[in-house]
Amino acid sequence: MKKIILVVIVVFSAISCNTVKEYDKQYINDPEMKLSARSSERYETTFQVYREAASGANGGKTGGGCGCN
Amino acid sequence: MKNKITLLFAFCSIIGFSQEKDSTEVVYKKRVLESIEVDFLASYYKQDGVHSSVSGGMGSEKLTDLASNIVVAIPLNDDDVLTVDMGISAYTSASSSNINPFNSSGASGGGDDDDDDRAPAIGPYGTPWQASSGASAQDALAAVVVNYSHSSDDRNFIWNADVAFSNEYDYTSIGFGGGVSKLFNNKNTEISVKANVYLDQWRPIYATELHEYASYGAGFQSNGFFSGVTILDQSGNASTSYLPSNFTTWDSTNRNSYSASFGFSQVATKKMQFSLFFDILHQEGMLSTPYHRVYFADKANYYIGQAEYIPVYETTQNAGVYQLADDIERLPNTRFKIPVGARLNYYLNERLTLRTYFRYYWDDWGITSNTASIELPIKLSEKFTVFPSYRYYTQEKSKYFAPFETHLSTEKFYTSDYDLSTFDAHQYGFGINYTDIFTNAKIWKFGLKNIDLRFNHYDRNDGLNANIVTFGIKFVQQ
Repeated sequence: MKKIILVVIVVFSAISCNTVKEYDKQYINDPEMKLSARSSERYETTFQVYREAASGANGGKTGGGCGCN
Repeated sequence: MKNKITLLFAFCSIIGFSQEKDSTEVVYKKRVLESIEVDFLASYYKQDGVHSSVSGGMGSEKLTDLASNIVVAIPLNDDDVLTVDMGISAYTSASSSNINPFNSSGASGGGDDDDDDRAPAIGPYGTPWQASSGASAQDALAAVVVNYSHSSDDRNFIWNADVAFSNEYDYTSIGFGGGVSKLFNNKNTEISVKANVYLDQWRPIYATELHEYASYGAGFQSNGFFSGVTILDQSGNASTSYLPSNFTTWDSTNRNSYSASFGFSQVATKKMQFSLFFDILHQEGMLSTPYHRVYFADKANYYIGQAEYIPVYETTQNAGVYQLADDIERLPNTRFKIPVGARLNYYLNERLTLRTYFRYYWDDWGITSNTASIELPIKLSEKFTVFPSYRYYTQEKSKYFAPFETHLSTEKFYTSDYDLSTFDAHQYGFGINYTDIFTNAKIWKFGLKNIDLRFNHYDRNDGLNANIVTFGIKFVQQ
Protein backbone atom coordinates (compact mmCIF):
# COMPACT_ATOMS: atom_id res chain seq x y z
CA MET A 1 0.00 0.00 0.00
CA LYS A 2 2.84 2.38 0.92
CA LYS A 3 4.53 1.66 -2.42
CA ILE A 4 1.35 2.50 -4.30
CA ILE A 5 0.97 5.79 -2.42
CA LEU A 6 4.62 6.63 -3.14
CA VAL A 7 4.23 5.92 -6.85
CA VAL A 8 1.02 7.98 -7.01
CA ILE A 9 2.68 10.94 -5.26
CA VAL A 10 5.77 10.78 -7.48
CA VAL A 11 3.73 10.50 -10.70
CA PHE A 12 1.32 13.26 -9.70
CA SER A 13 4.17 15.52 -8.60
CA ALA A 14 5.91 15.03 -11.93
CA ILE A 15 2.71 15.63 -13.88
CA SER A 16 1.90 18.74 -11.91
CA CYS A 17 5.01 20.44 -13.31
CA ASN A 18 3.27 20.43 -16.72
CA THR A 19 1.23 23.34 -17.94
CA VAL A 20 -1.63 22.92 -20.41
CA LYS A 21 -2.31 26.20 -22.20
CA GLU A 22 -5.81 27.65 -22.24
CA TYR A 23 -6.15 27.08 -25.98
CA ASP A 24 -5.35 23.39 -25.45
CA LYS A 25 -8.11 22.86 -22.93
CA GLN A 26 -11.00 22.04 -25.27
CA TYR A 27 -11.10 18.47 -23.91
CA ILE A 28 -10.54 19.47 -20.30
CA ASN A 29 -13.39 22.00 -20.56
CA ASP A 30 -15.87 19.36 -21.75
CA PRO A 31 -18.81 19.29 -19.28
CA GLU A 32 -18.25 15.55 -18.63
CA MET A 33 -14.70 16.29 -17.43
CA LYS A 34 -15.79 18.27 -14.37
CA LEU A 35 -14.01 17.11 -11.22
CA SER A 36 -17.16 17.10 -9.14
CA ALA A 37 -20.26 15.00 -8.76
CA ARG A 38 -23.23 15.88 -10.97
CA SER A 39 -25.87 18.01 -9.26
CA SER A 40 -28.43 15.24 -9.74
CA GLU A 41 -26.14 12.83 -7.82
CA ARG A 42 -26.87 14.64 -4.56
CA TYR A 43 -29.73 12.33 -3.57
CA GLU A 44 -27.61 9.23 -4.16
CA THR A 45 -24.88 10.72 -1.99
CA THR A 46 -27.48 11.43 0.70
CA PHE A 47 -28.80 7.86 0.86
CA GLN A 48 -25.24 6.47 0.77
CA VAL A 49 -24.29 8.64 3.75
CA TYR A 50 -27.36 7.28 5.59
CA ARG A 51 -26.92 3.61 4.68
CA GLU A 52 -23.14 3.42 4.96
CA ALA A 53 -20.88 4.37 7.86
CA ALA A 54 -18.42 6.32 5.71
CA SER A 55 -18.88 9.91 4.60
CA GLY A 56 -16.82 12.83 3.35
CA ALA A 57 -14.12 13.33 0.73
CA ASN A 58 -16.71 13.50 -2.02
CA GLY A 59 -17.99 17.04 -1.85
CA GLY A 60 -21.16 15.82 -0.11
CA LYS A 61 -22.59 16.94 3.18
CA THR A 62 -20.51 15.92 6.17
CA GLY A 63 -22.87 16.70 9.02
CA GLY A 64 -26.29 17.96 9.90
CA GLY A 65 -29.52 16.00 9.61
CA CYS A 66 -30.25 12.75 11.36
CA GLY A 67 -30.74 10.17 8.61
CA CYS A 68 -31.56 7.52 11.12
CA ASN A 69 -34.41 5.68 9.42
CA MET B 1 15.58 7.29 0.24
CA LYS B 2 12.15 6.91 -1.36
CA ASN B 3 10.73 9.44 1.03
CA LYS B 4 13.46 11.90 0.08
CA ILE B 5 12.73 11.45 -3.64
CA THR B 6 9.04 12.00 -2.97
CA LEU B 7 9.73 15.12 -0.98
CA LEU B 8 12.02 16.40 -3.74
CA PHE B 9 9.29 15.97 -6.37
CA ALA B 10 6.70 17.59 -4.17
CA PHE B 11 9.09 20.48 -3.49
CA CYS B 12 9.82 20.87 -7.22
CA SER B 13 6.10 21.00 -7.91
CA ILE B 14 5.48 23.65 -5.30
CA ILE B 15 8.42 25.73 -6.53
CA GLY B 16 7.12 25.26 -10.06
CA PHE B 17 3.73 26.67 -9.08
CA SER B 18 5.18 29.60 -7.22
CA GLN B 19 7.54 30.54 -10.05
CA GLU B 20 4.92 30.23 -12.75
CA LYS B 21 3.72 33.62 -13.78
CA ASP B 22 0.03 33.65 -14.41
CA SER B 23 -0.40 34.58 -18.05
CA THR B 24 -4.15 35.10 -17.77
CA GLU B 25 -3.85 38.78 -17.12
CA VAL B 26 -7.21 40.43 -17.08
CA VAL B 27 -8.15 42.33 -20.17
CA TYR B 28 -11.80 42.35 -19.39
CA LYS B 29 -13.85 40.65 -16.72
CA LYS B 30 -16.18 37.91 -17.80
CA ARG B 31 -19.04 37.52 -15.38
CA VAL B 32 -18.68 34.51 -13.11
CA LEU B 33 -22.33 33.71 -13.80
CA GLU B 34 -23.96 35.32 -16.82
CA SER B 35 -27.56 35.17 -15.64
CA ILE B 36 -29.90 33.62 -13.11
CA GLU B 37 -29.94 29.81 -13.18
CA VAL B 38 -32.68 27.71 -11.67
CA ASP B 39 -32.39 23.97 -10.98
CA PHE B 40 -35.37 21.80 -10.12
CA LEU B 41 -34.36 18.44 -8.67
CA ALA B 42 -36.46 15.54 -7.47
CA SER B 43 -35.92 11.94 -6.43
CA TYR B 44 -37.90 8.88 -5.45
CA TYR B 45 -36.12 6.36 -3.21
CA LYS B 46 -37.36 2.97 -2.11
CA GLN B 47 -35.57 0.39 0.04
CA ASP B 48 -36.22 -2.93 1.71
CA GLY B 49 -34.18 -5.10 4.04
CA VAL B 50 -34.31 -7.47 6.99
CA HIS B 51 -32.19 -5.77 9.66
CA SER B 52 -34.24 -2.96 11.15
CA SER B 53 -32.19 -1.10 13.74
CA VAL B 54 -35.39 0.11 15.45
CA SER B 55 -36.20 -3.56 16.13
CA GLY B 56 -32.69 -4.38 17.35
CA GLY B 57 -31.15 -5.49 14.06
CA MET B 58 -34.02 -7.63 12.78
CA GLY B 59 -37.22 -6.86 10.89
CA SER B 60 -38.49 -4.91 7.93
CA GLU B 61 -36.47 -1.95 6.63
CA LYS B 62 -39.09 -0.87 4.08
CA LEU B 63 -38.79 2.83 3.41
CA THR B 64 -39.84 5.23 0.68
CA ASP B 65 -38.64 8.80 0.37
CA LEU B 66 -39.73 11.55 -1.99
CA ALA B 67 -37.41 14.54 -2.12
CA SER B 68 -37.31 17.73 -4.14
CA ASN B 69 -35.09 20.78 -4.25
CA ILE B 70 -35.02 24.09 -6.01
CA VAL B 71 -31.64 25.75 -6.43
CA VAL B 72 -31.46 29.37 -7.56
CA ALA B 73 -28.10 30.92 -8.45
CA ILE B 74 -28.19 34.71 -8.77
CA PRO B 75 -25.29 36.80 -10.12
CA LEU B 76 -25.14 39.89 -7.88
CA ASN B 77 -22.47 41.53 -10.05
CA ASP B 78 -19.54 40.41 -12.21
CA ASP B 79 -17.79 38.70 -9.28
CA ASP B 80 -20.39 37.63 -6.75
CA VAL B 81 -22.96 34.86 -6.82
CA LEU B 82 -25.68 34.12 -4.29
CA THR B 83 -27.09 30.59 -4.30
CA VAL B 84 -30.20 29.54 -2.42
CA ASP B 85 -30.97 25.83 -2.15
CA MET B 86 -34.33 24.87 -0.65
CA GLY B 87 -35.56 21.33 -0.26
CA ILE B 88 -38.11 19.08 1.31
CA SER B 89 -37.97 15.34 1.81
CA ALA B 90 -40.91 13.23 2.97
CA TYR B 91 -40.57 9.59 3.96
CA THR B 92 -42.62 6.67 5.16
CA SER B 93 -40.75 3.95 7.03
CA ALA B 94 -41.77 0.56 8.44
CA SER B 95 -38.73 0.62 10.64
CA SER B 96 -39.34 3.95 12.35
CA SER B 97 -43.08 3.22 12.60
CA ASN B 98 -42.08 0.49 15.05
CA ILE B 99 -40.82 2.97 17.61
CA ASN B 100 -44.38 2.32 18.72
CA PRO B 101 -45.04 -1.10 17.19
CA PHE B 102 -48.35 -1.72 18.91
CA ASN B 103 -51.42 -1.25 16.79
CA SER B 104 -54.04 -1.49 19.44
CA SER B 105 -54.74 0.57 22.52
CA GLY B 106 -52.02 1.96 24.73
CA ALA B 107 -51.24 5.24 26.40
CA SER B 108 -48.55 6.18 23.92
CA GLY B 109 -50.03 4.22 21.06
CA GLY B 110 -51.45 6.04 18.18
CA GLY B 111 -54.62 5.79 16.18
CA ASP B 112 -56.67 3.03 14.72
CA ASP B 113 -55.34 -0.16 13.29
CA ASP B 114 -55.76 0.17 9.56
CA ASP B 115 -53.41 -2.64 8.61
CA ASP B 116 -55.63 -5.43 7.34
CA ASP B 117 -52.74 -7.85 6.77
CA ARG B 118 -52.21 -8.34 10.46
CA ALA B 119 -53.58 -11.15 12.57
CA PRO B 120 -56.61 -10.12 14.59
CA ALA B 121 -56.02 -9.65 18.30
CA ILE B 122 -57.74 -8.22 21.28
CA GLY B 123 -54.87 -6.53 23.10
CA PRO B 124 -51.97 -4.58 21.67
CA TYR B 125 -49.73 -6.47 19.28
CA GLY B 126 -47.07 -5.76 16.72
CA THR B 127 -44.37 -7.36 14.62
CA PRO B 128 -40.96 -6.18 13.44
CA TRP B 129 -41.84 -7.44 9.97
CA GLN B 130 -44.61 -4.95 9.21
CA ALA B 131 -45.18 -1.24 9.63
CA SER B 132 -47.34 -0.21 12.55
CA SER B 133 -49.83 2.63 12.41
CA GLY B 134 -47.73 4.73 14.81
CA ALA B 135 -47.24 8.43 14.15
CA SER B 136 -43.50 7.91 13.61
CA ALA B 137 -44.20 6.01 10.37
CA GLN B 138 -43.72 9.20 8.42
CA ASP B 139 -41.93 12.50 8.68
CA ALA B 140 -40.73 15.38 6.53
CA LEU B 141 -37.37 17.10 6.47
CA ALA B 142 -37.17 20.72 5.31
CA ALA B 143 -33.78 22.25 4.55
CA VAL B 144 -32.33 25.48 3.20
CA VAL B 145 -28.73 26.39 2.36
CA VAL B 146 -27.63 29.90 1.37
CA ASN B 147 -24.19 30.28 -0.17
CA TYR B 148 -22.34 33.46 -1.16
CA SER B 149 -19.21 33.33 -3.30
CA HIS B 150 -16.79 35.97 -4.53
CA SER B 151 -14.17 35.63 -7.27
CA SER B 152 -11.16 37.89 -7.65
CA ASP B 153 -10.71 39.96 -10.79
CA ASP B 154 -8.30 37.47 -12.33
CA ARG B 155 -10.61 34.61 -11.24
CA ASN B 156 -7.70 32.89 -9.52
CA PHE B 157 -8.98 33.32 -5.98
CA ILE B 158 -12.47 32.44 -4.77
CA TRP B 159 -13.92 32.57 -1.31
CA ASN B 160 -17.34 31.49 -0.16
CA ALA B 161 -19.47 31.39 2.97
CA ASP B 162 -22.64 29.43 3.65
CA VAL B 163 -25.33 28.95 6.25
CA ALA B 164 -27.65 25.95 6.49
CA PHE B 165 -30.77 25.03 8.40
CA SER B 166 -32.79 21.84 8.44
CA ASN B 167 -35.62 20.59 10.56
CA GLU B 168 -37.61 17.43 11.07
CA TYR B 169 -39.92 16.21 13.84
CA ASP B 170 -37.20 15.12 16.26
CA TYR B 171 -34.09 16.83 14.87
CA THR B 172 -32.92 20.35 14.03
CA SER B 173 -29.62 21.28 12.44
CA ILE B 174 -27.95 24.66 12.03
CA GLY B 175 -24.75 24.87 10.04
CA PHE B 176 -22.31 27.42 8.75
CA GLY B 177 -19.02 27.31 6.96
CA GLY B 178 -16.71 28.81 4.42
CA GLY B 179 -13.80 28.12 2.19
CA VAL B 180 -11.15 29.52 -0.14
CA SER B 181 -9.78 28.27 -3.46
CA LYS B 182 -6.62 29.39 -5.18
CA LEU B 183 -5.77 28.64 -8.81
CA PHE B 184 -2.17 28.53 -9.99
CA ASN B 185 -0.12 27.53 -12.96
CA ASN B 186 -2.34 29.05 -15.68
CA LYS B 187 -5.39 27.61 -13.94
CA ASN B 188 -3.94 24.10 -14.21
CA THR B 189 -3.73 23.70 -10.44
CA GLU B 190 -6.23 24.46 -7.72
CA ILE B 191 -5.86 24.21 -3.98
CA SER B 192 -8.86 24.61 -1.72
CA VAL B 193 -9.58 24.64 1.99
CA LYS B 194 -13.00 24.73 3.60
CA ALA B 195 -14.47 24.30 7.05
CA ASN B 196 -17.99 23.58 8.26
CA VAL B 197 -19.72 23.42 11.61
CA TYR B 198 -23.13 21.84 12.25
CA LEU B 199 -24.82 22.42 15.59
CA ASP B 200 -27.62 19.87 15.83
CA GLN B 201 -30.29 19.26 18.39
CA TRP B 202 -32.18 16.03 19.05
CA ARG B 203 -35.67 15.97 20.49
CA PRO B 204 -35.42 12.29 21.37
CA ILE B 205 -38.30 9.91 21.06
CA TYR B 206 -37.96 6.50 22.65
CA ALA B 207 -39.41 3.05 22.08
CA THR B 208 -42.87 2.83 23.69
CA GLU B 209 -41.91 0.34 26.41
CA LEU B 210 -38.81 2.35 27.41
CA HIS B 211 -40.71 5.63 27.32
CA GLU B 212 -43.23 4.17 29.75
CA TYR B 213 -40.50 2.84 32.03
CA ALA B 214 -38.87 6.29 32.05
CA SER B 215 -42.21 7.96 32.81
CA TYR B 216 -43.50 5.70 35.60
CA GLY B 217 -40.39 3.96 36.97
CA ALA B 218 -40.62 0.51 38.56
CA GLY B 219 -44.44 0.67 38.68
CA PHE B 220 -44.75 1.20 34.93
CA GLN B 221 -46.57 -2.08 34.33
CA SER B 222 -49.67 -0.82 36.13
CA ASN B 223 -49.68 2.64 34.55
CA GLY B 224 -49.97 4.29 31.18
CA PHE B 225 -49.66 2.04 28.14
CA PHE B 226 -48.99 -1.11 30.16
CA SER B 227 -52.07 -0.77 32.34
CA GLY B 228 -54.15 -3.90 31.63
CA VAL B 229 -51.72 -5.18 29.00
CA THR B 230 -50.38 -8.74 29.29
CA ILE B 231 -46.65 -9.23 28.93
CA LEU B 232 -45.50 -12.67 27.79
CA ASP B 233 -42.29 -14.50 28.63
CA GLN B 234 -40.33 -16.72 26.21
CA SER B 235 -42.73 -19.62 26.87
CA GLY B 236 -45.76 -17.47 26.11
CA ASN B 237 -46.93 -17.26 29.72
CA ALA B 238 -48.04 -14.02 31.36
CA SER B 239 -45.26 -12.40 33.34
CA THR B 240 -44.60 -9.23 35.33
CA SER B 241 -40.81 -9.65 35.44
CA TYR B 242 -39.96 -7.36 32.52
CA LEU B 243 -37.75 -4.51 33.79
CA PRO B 244 -35.46 -2.61 31.36
CA SER B 245 -33.21 -1.40 34.17
CA ASN B 246 -30.30 -0.55 31.83
CA PHE B 247 -32.38 2.18 30.22
CA THR B 248 -31.99 5.85 31.06
CA THR B 249 -33.01 8.81 28.93
CA TRP B 250 -30.40 11.09 27.38
CA ASP B 251 -29.63 14.22 29.41
CA SER B 252 -27.64 16.05 26.74
CA THR B 253 -29.21 16.02 23.29
CA ASN B 254 -26.77 18.10 21.25
CA ARG B 255 -24.79 16.73 18.35
CA ASN B 256 -22.04 18.92 16.95
CA SER B 257 -20.05 18.18 13.79
CA TYR B 258 -16.87 19.95 12.73
CA SER B 259 -15.16 19.34 9.43
CA ALA B 260 -12.12 20.63 7.58
CA SER B 261 -11.61 19.71 3.92
CA PHE B 262 -8.51 20.09 1.80
CA GLY B 263 -8.56 19.73 -1.97
CA PHE B 264 -5.94 19.65 -4.71
CA SER B 265 -6.88 19.58 -8.41
CA GLN B 266 -4.53 19.33 -11.33
CA VAL B 267 -4.84 19.34 -15.11
CA ALA B 268 -2.36 16.58 -15.90
CA THR B 269 -2.47 16.46 -19.68
CA LYS B 270 -4.69 17.84 -22.44
CA LYS B 271 -7.05 14.93 -21.81
CA MET B 272 -6.67 14.09 -18.14
CA GLN B 273 -7.23 15.82 -14.85
CA PHE B 274 -7.47 14.61 -11.28
CA SER B 275 -8.21 15.84 -7.80
CA LEU B 276 -7.34 14.67 -4.30
CA PHE B 277 -9.45 15.31 -1.19
CA PHE B 278 -8.62 14.96 2.45
CA ASP B 279 -11.18 15.61 5.19
CA ILE B 280 -10.92 15.66 8.94
CA LEU B 281 -14.23 15.31 10.76
CA HIS B 282 -14.98 15.39 14.43
CA GLN B 283 -18.39 14.79 16.02
CA GLU B 284 -19.40 15.09 19.63
CA GLY B 285 -22.56 14.83 21.68
CA MET B 286 -25.46 12.45 21.26
CA LEU B 287 -24.22 10.23 18.43
CA SER B 288 -26.54 7.36 19.33
CA THR B 289 -30.03 7.15 17.86
CA PRO B 290 -32.51 7.14 20.76
CA TYR B 291 -35.05 4.77 19.19
CA HIS B 292 -32.67 2.00 18.10
CA ARG B 293 -33.51 -0.94 20.34
CA VAL B 294 -30.93 -3.37 21.73
CA TYR B 295 -31.66 -6.86 23.08
CA PHE B 296 -29.14 -8.49 25.40
CA ALA B 297 -28.22 -12.17 25.23
CA ASP B 298 -27.93 -12.35 29.02
CA LYS B 299 -31.42 -10.96 29.72
CA ALA B 300 -34.72 -12.85 29.58
CA ASN B 301 -37.05 -12.09 26.66
CA TYR B 302 -40.50 -10.53 27.03
CA TYR B 303 -43.16 -9.84 24.44
CA ILE B 304 -46.48 -8.18 23.76
CA GLY B 305 -48.87 -9.80 21.32
CA GLN B 306 -49.85 -13.33 20.39
CA ALA B 307 -47.88 -16.17 22.02
CA GLU B 308 -48.09 -18.50 19.02
CA TYR B 309 -45.72 -16.25 17.06
CA ILE B 310 -42.90 -16.29 19.65
CA PRO B 311 -41.22 -19.45 18.22
CA VAL B 312 -41.12 -17.78 14.76
CA TYR B 313 -40.24 -14.31 16.05
CA GLU B 314 -37.19 -13.92 13.82
CA THR B 315 -38.97 -14.98 10.64
CA THR B 316 -41.45 -13.19 8.41
CA GLN B 317 -44.10 -15.65 9.63
CA ASN B 318 -44.30 -13.56 12.79
CA ALA B 319 -47.48 -11.55 12.22
CA GLY B 320 -48.39 -10.61 15.77
CA VAL B 321 -45.77 -10.43 18.51
CA TYR B 322 -43.12 -7.83 19.39
CA GLN B 323 -40.19 -8.24 21.78
CA LEU B 324 -39.74 -5.58 24.45
CA ALA B 325 -36.38 -3.79 24.43
CA ASP B 326 -33.64 -4.20 27.02
CA ASP B 327 -32.10 -0.82 26.15
CA ILE B 328 -31.36 1.57 23.30
CA GLU B 329 -28.07 1.69 21.45
CA ARG B 330 -25.22 3.28 23.36
CA LEU B 331 -22.35 4.73 21.36
CA PRO B 332 -19.44 6.95 22.43
CA ASN B 333 -20.12 10.68 22.50
CA THR B 334 -17.18 11.48 20.21
CA ARG B 335 -16.24 10.24 16.77
CA PHE B 336 -13.22 11.12 14.65
CA LYS B 337 -13.28 10.38 10.91
CA ILE B 338 -10.66 10.64 8.20
CA PRO B 339 -11.77 10.10 4.59
CA VAL B 340 -9.28 10.47 1.73
CA GLY B 341 -10.59 10.58 -1.83
CA ALA B 342 -9.47 11.01 -5.42
CA ARG B 343 -11.14 11.66 -8.74
CA LEU B 344 -9.57 11.07 -12.12
CA ASN B 345 -11.27 11.96 -15.40
CA TYR B 346 -9.96 11.05 -18.82
CA TYR B 347 -11.25 12.28 -22.19
CA LEU B 348 -11.04 9.14 -24.35
CA ASN B 349 -12.44 10.61 -27.56
CA GLU B 350 -15.26 12.84 -28.78
CA ARG B 351 -17.78 10.13 -27.85
CA LEU B 352 -16.38 8.74 -24.61
CA THR B 353 -15.17 10.12 -21.29
CA LEU B 354 -14.01 8.11 -18.29
CA ARG B 355 -14.90 9.37 -14.81
CA THR B 356 -13.48 7.54 -11.78
CA TYR B 357 -13.57 8.02 -8.02
CA PHE B 358 -11.90 6.28 -5.09
CA ARG B 359 -12.15 6.86 -1.34
CA TYR B 360 -10.55 5.30 1.72
CA TYR B 361 -12.25 5.94 5.07
CA TRP B 362 -11.17 5.36 8.67
CA ASP B 363 -12.79 6.29 11.99
CA ASP B 364 -12.08 5.69 15.65
CA TRP B 365 -15.17 3.50 16.09
CA GLY B 366 -13.22 0.82 14.24
CA ILE B 367 -14.80 1.30 10.82
CA THR B 368 -12.71 1.24 7.67
CA SER B 369 -14.12 1.33 4.17
CA ASN B 370 -13.18 1.58 0.51
CA THR B 371 -15.32 3.09 -2.24
CA ALA B 372 -14.61 2.88 -5.96
CA SER B 373 -16.82 4.09 -8.77
CA ILE B 374 -16.60 4.42 -12.50
CA GLU B 375 -18.84 6.25 -14.95
CA LEU B 376 -18.60 6.19 -18.72
CA PRO B 377 -20.50 9.07 -20.35
CA ILE B 378 -21.25 8.30 -24.00
CA LYS B 379 -22.22 11.19 -26.29
CA LEU B 380 -24.92 9.95 -28.63
CA SER B 381 -25.37 13.30 -30.35
CA GLU B 382 -24.73 16.98 -29.75
CA LYS B 383 -27.60 17.08 -27.28
CA PHE B 384 -27.87 13.59 -25.79
CA THR B 385 -25.43 11.80 -23.50
CA VAL B 386 -26.00 8.52 -21.66
CA PHE B 387 -23.91 7.54 -18.67
CA PRO B 388 -23.78 4.01 -17.28
CA SER B 389 -22.05 3.74 -13.92
CA TYR B 390 -20.96 1.22 -11.31
CA ARG B 391 -19.98 1.78 -7.67
CA TYR B 392 -18.47 -0.70 -5.23
CA TYR B 393 -18.42 -0.11 -1.49
CA THR B 394 -16.98 -2.33 1.23
CA GLN B 395 -16.90 -1.70 4.96
CA GLU B 396 -15.49 -3.32 8.11
CA LYS B 397 -17.82 -3.17 11.13
CA SER B 398 -17.62 -0.87 14.10
CA LYS B 399 -16.23 -2.45 17.27
CA TYR B 400 -19.52 -1.55 18.96
CA PHE B 401 -21.71 -3.53 16.55
CA ALA B 402 -23.20 -6.96 17.20
CA PRO B 403 -26.31 -8.62 15.70
CA PHE B 404 -29.73 -9.14 17.30
CA GLU B 405 -29.62 -10.63 20.81
CA THR B 406 -25.83 -11.01 21.01
CA HIS B 407 -24.69 -8.00 23.03
CA LEU B 408 -24.19 -8.45 26.77
CA SER B 409 -25.66 -6.08 29.33
CA THR B 410 -22.20 -5.66 30.88
CA GLU B 411 -20.83 -3.91 27.77
CA LYS B 412 -20.38 -0.15 27.86
CA PHE B 413 -21.19 0.55 24.19
CA TYR B 414 -23.50 -1.43 21.92
CA THR B 415 -25.56 -1.15 18.77
CA SER B 416 -27.33 -3.54 16.38
CA ASP B 417 -27.54 -0.99 13.56
CA TYR B 418 -26.48 -2.86 10.41
CA ASP B 419 -25.34 0.41 8.80
CA LEU B 420 -22.35 -0.02 11.15
CA SER B 421 -21.82 -3.72 10.32
CA THR B 422 -19.46 -5.43 7.88
CA PHE B 423 -20.90 -5.52 4.36
CA ASP B 424 -20.24 -5.05 0.66
CA ALA B 425 -22.51 -3.02 -1.62
CA HIS B 426 -22.85 -2.82 -5.38
CA GLN B 427 -24.60 0.07 -7.13
CA TYR B 428 -25.52 -0.07 -10.80
CA GLY B 429 -26.65 3.11 -12.50
CA PHE B 430 -27.80 4.50 -15.79
CA GLY B 431 -28.55 8.09 -16.71
CA ILE B 432 -29.44 10.19 -19.69
CA ASN B 433 -28.69 13.85 -20.17
CA TYR B 434 -30.17 16.33 -22.63
CA THR B 435 -28.28 19.59 -23.08
CA ASP B 436 -29.19 22.51 -25.30
CA ILE B 437 -26.51 25.18 -25.04
CA PHE B 438 -28.65 27.55 -27.13
CA THR B 439 -31.63 27.13 -24.77
CA ASN B 440 -34.13 27.11 -27.62
CA ALA B 441 -37.01 25.80 -25.52
CA LYS B 442 -38.37 28.56 -23.29
CA ILE B 443 -40.76 29.00 -20.42
CA TRP B 444 -41.53 32.65 -19.71
CA LYS B 445 -38.11 34.38 -19.41
CA PHE B 446 -36.17 31.18 -18.86
CA GLY B 447 -34.56 28.91 -21.41
CA LEU B 448 -34.16 25.16 -20.88
CA LYS B 449 -30.46 24.32 -20.61
CA ASN B 450 -30.41 20.67 -19.62
CA ILE B 451 -32.36 17.71 -18.26
CA ASP B 452 -30.89 14.83 -16.27
CA LEU B 453 -32.64 11.54 -15.57
CA ARG B 454 -30.88 8.86 -13.51
CA PHE B 455 -31.75 5.42 -12.19
CA ASN B 456 -29.67 3.49 -9.67
CA HIS B 457 -30.05 0.06 -8.10
CA TYR B 458 -28.24 -0.62 -4.81
CA ASP B 459 -27.55 -4.10 -3.40
CA ARG B 460 -26.03 -4.72 0.00
CA ASN B 461 -24.97 -8.27 0.85
CA ASP B 462 -26.79 -8.18 4.20
CA GLY B 463 -30.14 -8.21 2.40
CA LEU B 464 -30.79 -4.50 2.00
CA ASN B 465 -31.57 -3.29 -1.48
CA ALA B 466 -32.76 0.02 -2.85
CA ASN B 467 -33.76 1.81 -6.04
CA ILE B 468 -33.55 5.52 -6.66
CA VAL B 469 -34.79 7.61 -9.57
CA THR B 470 -33.53 11.16 -9.86
CA PHE B 471 -34.69 13.94 -12.15
CA GLY B 472 -33.08 17.32 -12.66
CA ILE B 473 -33.87 20.22 -14.97
CA LYS B 474 -31.98 23.48 -15.36
CA PHE B 475 -33.31 26.80 -16.68
CA VAL B 476 -31.29 29.89 -17.50
CA GLN B 477 -32.68 33.41 -17.55
CA GLN B 478 -32.67 34.85 -21.06
